[in-house]
Amino acid sequence: MNIVRPADELLDQPFWRHLAAGQLHLNACEACGAFRHPPGPCCPKCRHIGEHWAPVSGRATLQSYTTVRHPVHDRLTSAVPYVVTLVRLAEGPRMISGIPPGEHYDLKVGLELECKVISYDARFALPFFVPVAQVQP
Amino acid sequence: MTTSIAGIGQTEFSVRSGRSELQLAIEAIKAAVADAGIDIDEIDGLVRYTWDNTTEAAILNALGLPRLTYYGETEFGGVNCCGAIAQACAAIEAGLASCIVFYRALNARSGTRYGRGDRILSEENGQLVNRQMEPPGDVYSAPFGLLVPGQHHALYARAYLDHYGLSDDQCAEMLGSIAVTQRAYANANPRALLRERELTMEQYLAGRIISEPLRLYDYCLETDGAMAIVITSKEKAKSLRSRTVDVLAAQQYVHPGSVPMFLYAEDTHRLVPPEAGEILFRRAGVSAQEIDVAMFYDATSIMVPMALEDFGFVERGGAHDFLTSGGNGPGGRLPINTHGGLLSEGYFHGLNSIAEAVRQLRGESPNQVDCETAFMTLRGASSMILGRA
Ligand SMILES: [Zn+2]
Repeated sequence: MNIVRPADELLDQPFWRHLAAGQLHLNACEACGAFRHPPGPCCPKCRHIGEHWAPVSGRATLQSYTTVRHPVHDRLTSAVPYVVTLVRLAEGPRMISGIPPGEHYDLKVGLELECKVISYDARFALPFFVPVAQVQP
Repeated sequence: MTTSIAGIGQTEFSVRSGRSELQLAIEAIKAAVADAGIDIDEIDGLVRYTWDNTTEAAILNALGLPRLTYYGETEFGGVNCCGAIAQACAAIEAGLASCIVFYRALNARSGTRYGRGDRILSEENGQLVNRQMEPPGDVYSAPFGLLVPGQHHALYARAYLDHYGLSDDQCAEMLGSIAVTQRAYANANPRALLRERELTMEQYLAGRIISEPLRLYDYCLETDGAMAIVITSKEKAKSLRSRTVDVLAAQQYVHPGSVPMFLYAEDTHRLVPPEAGEILFRRAGVSAQEIDVAMFYDATSIMVPMALEDFGFVERGGAHDFLTSGGNGPGGRLPINTHGGLLSEGYFHGLNSIAEAVRQLRGESPNQVDCETAFMTLRGASSMILGRA
């Protein structure tokens, strides 16, 4: 499957470096510990400026999803259909994710999910989410 | 407010304009100025979307305007269709300018297409690469294939359906009724891109799925062309021979996660808190029940039920019954998108819907409603109420 890849210079950033090492880390506040996504210089909860990166549990609930059937780029013709998800992490932030290519689940809003990091190469991996206890090998 | 919309102008809507966006913009501005009955030299202000490729400088120089004493920009595209009007009104009320033109020119079919991922992707070493910092298609969502606004709308739709327990069949009934009703409006509208193509419910249901649960006919049209709107003080408007329309209230309202593409907001089954509508209606001095005709920014059809509920035109969860019983159609309780909407007239980041609200209040719509007030919004991020002068 063809996939959209962040530009090489972006893969040096912590979010992608941690994923390449197999783990989902999020930007977090130094003062109150609140997680935020996408990363930013200021905590939207306490307005403290200062950040660090910390691992999250990988647990999330499904907020919405769509099966994309129409490819919006010529190079994605063989990628459809694919499933895009909107998930809320146990730690609070929302993320866009997806169902790993080739895996199929009955989805319903509210479903409990867990993170499954899939590596594409040494520098690039993506945090997919799949239903808890249904992780396919 | 103490401002009016004095004129509207446009080029033809097409899929291939054959001319530059600058030329389209100039044509639309000249048409709007002629419609308002003012002299081009009276234009002393311009407002535009930052997304528009045609700058204020290009317009100023191409038209040879004697001066601009105000020019302003609003971020994103249609999110700010009413926000740009609000900005023009504020500038006029502050005395910064007296006659402001809001314009939008785009070759969105023959040029860069908003429905395609090419806009935010490049091809490097045989791979699709993204370095976009903000949605749609930012680097945290594009790798999962979330690339264009129409896919985001599918996420809103699923969250909405789940919240109210609507089945996919009920979704199709509801959204299909919007697409079919608006196409019939377009069939009577000589400006509409799809004026000659009819749409039945059977054809709607046979439309291919683009991004579940949305089908082909749930999506707006990529369009070439330009539109312009002239805003003046109410006092100046009274002196013009044109039929002007009063701006009763125009505003912006964004909240965390709601812009640019409503990805990370707290709730996804609704797009704006009730407060946004309360503020707007209070400013305008009318209630939702007093609105006679409405334009909802229908980049996809799901925006219609969500706007109906977000602004209290129907109770929460009541949009399905309202729409499937013809509430938005001719003679309905609240006719909606009587030009055919972005689904069937064309897509100008909301300016064509504002223009239809103006036509309704002037009594010039091809699908005329007996009306004193007209409402317009894009998912509450900006909204407006116009009144017959
Ligand atoms: Zn904090």
